[in-house]
Amino acid sequence: MTENIAPYIVLSGVRKAYRIGGEMISIFSGLDLTIPQGDFVAVMGPSGSGKSTLLNMLAGIDSPDSGTLRIGTSRLDQMGEAARAAWRAHNMGIVFQFYNLLPMLSVAENVELPLLLKPLSRKERRLRVDKVLDLVGLAGRAKQYPALMSGGQQQRIGIARAIVSDPGLLLCDEPTGDLDRKSADEVLEMLRFLNRHLQKTIVMVTHDPQAALYARRTLHLDKGDFVEEKRAA
Amino acid sequence: MTFFALARKNAWRKPLRTVLLMVSIAVAFLIYGLTASFLNGAQGTAGASDDILGVTSAGGRTQPLPMAMMPRIAADPDVAAVGYVTRLRGFVDVEKNVVAISAGDPDRLLAVNGKGLGLTPALVEAIGQARDKVLVGRALAEAQGWRVGERVAVTAFDMARADGGRDWRFEIAGIFEGEDATTDTYFMIARYDYVNAARARGKDTVDAFIVRPHAGVAPGELAVRIDTLFANSATPTRTQSEKQFLEAFLRQYADTGLIVNLVVGAAFVTLLMIVVNTMVFAVRERTFEIGVLKTLGFSRRGIMALILGETLFVFAVGGGLGLVLAKLATLLAGPALGLVLSLPVLAKALAILAALGLATGALPAFNAMRTPIIKAFRTR
Repeated sequence: MTENIAPYIVLSGVRKAYRIGGEMISIFSGLDLTIPQGDFVAVMGPSGSGKSTLLNMLAGIDSPDSGTLRIGTSRLDQMGEAARAAWRAHNMGIVFQFYNLLPMLSVAENVELPLLLKPLSRKERRLRVDKVLDLVGLAGRAKQYPALMSGGQQQRIGIARAIVSDPGLLLCDEPTGDLDRKSADEVLEMLRFLNRHLQKTIVMVTHDPQAALYARRTLHLDKGDFVEEKRAA
Repeated sequence: MTFFALARKNAWRKPLRTVLLMVSIAVAFLIYGLTASFLNGAQGTAGASDDILGVTSAGGRTQPLPMAMMPRIAADPDVAAVGYVTRLRGFVDVEKNVVAISAGDPDRLLAVNGKGLGLTPALVEAIGQARDKVLVGRALAEAQGWRVGERVAVTAFDMARADGGRDWRFEIAGIFEGEDATTDTYFMIARYDYVNAARARGKDTVDAFIVRPHAGVAPGELAVRIDTLFANSATPTRTQSEKQFLEAFLRQYADTGLIVNLVVGAAFVTLLMIVVNTMVFAVRERTFEIGVLKTLGFSRRGIMALILGETLFVFAVGGGLGLVLAKLATLLAGPALGLVLSLPVLAKALAILAALGLATGALPAFNAMRTPIIKAFRTR
């Protein structure tokens, strides 16, 4: 189904290594990956397989040593730090395992954060925040503080923050890793909704096989290479 | 929410720490406000004129000059007007309640420095009605609670009367206001003819001549010419501008400007170290969150602006509080201390405030700006 759509994320011959204690540890030695627009991909694999490094590179917070990394029309591997920051602000939302909300800000203020980087009026920002809070089912909780809310609710704030600037790409780093099953399923349903109805391209790193079932396809990463691909029925 | 609101909320994250920082900044700016007000006010020299010259004895300002010198000074074509004064220091009721009297010819004082002192023809006419009339400066009148028509007695420290007493009695004919808030008005103007006639010694001498040059005349050149005129006389002179005279006078006791600058400098350096140290730790505690903000798309400049905004906010509140307290203190201290927190002083304080805010925020902001996101995420 997705093969007919133009590739959105393209990694080609990506190499990445880290120096750890004087020794170079290779993470990727020529990784290739293509993700079409509107796909929902789960990336699984054992610890140290390169999942987080892959996500960091897709988020533009780490860069490949060599190879090509293109998302949309942007060559992330050729961008400097300032350009990558601007790219993140306009093209990508990220959902963290531990939500990473700012405790001194209310729910609405946390969600509004990415909008501070856009030339929007206060009214426009408020409208957008209200809209996404409604979407994630937290319309009445705008003025509350995250610390008083459950993990599932906090993760929904995290999702609202990730989508408030309407990015095409959503990166999720173990989004259900800190949640009970019921909350995890609610969050995953929400991600599936965003993928199917709002056409967000989603890359989700997870250890949870049940979480992976919500994706259109699952890639298994091991020792820096994709070893298996499963498609949802 | 705005960018500044985010910085403000960051600052209030640990309210006790922030309040303590603000208090330390407020104290530093209170000290600055008061000392700068002192220098700026009548106790300082900021209000003194550069144009009006004072001619005193080269042997010291307490050595008298003969009145006969005046026609020779007035004969210089560059001199517009000449006045003279004899100073009388004494106390009212109790010794620590010190007052100063300048005895001169009111008409000449009006011609030489009427504008600076706030003298008017009406005031000069009032003092001219009787020999024992005096004009009292606004600051002195308010400090003593004196009113026009009231009779006052000043016990002189060293100027004895011909009758052997030291009590000089005057009737207040009017109150002079001074040109502006920086003018020293904590003294009285008496009539020279009254003081001269009644004093036991030093008749027909003065402590200083006051000279107003014609417009366009270089005061420095005229000063040199006057001193040359009397260089070989029995009483050589030293001619200085009012400002130079006041500065030299204050330096008899200490270099107040230097002392004030050292005190303020020490306060600000201490403040700088305290705030930089606190801010470095405060920002380091939030390294992870800075990583989150960067991940959301905040640029390095944005992060720097956020932290500088935070320190500027802390300085604005603390420094503003200190300056408000300084202003209140100058108002409550009364005119006797001559403290004036004027707009230029306030503007300089605000500039220092902004500079310190930026300087203290620079190091933590620079650290936060440079921290890579991946390194920031490892801090949790």
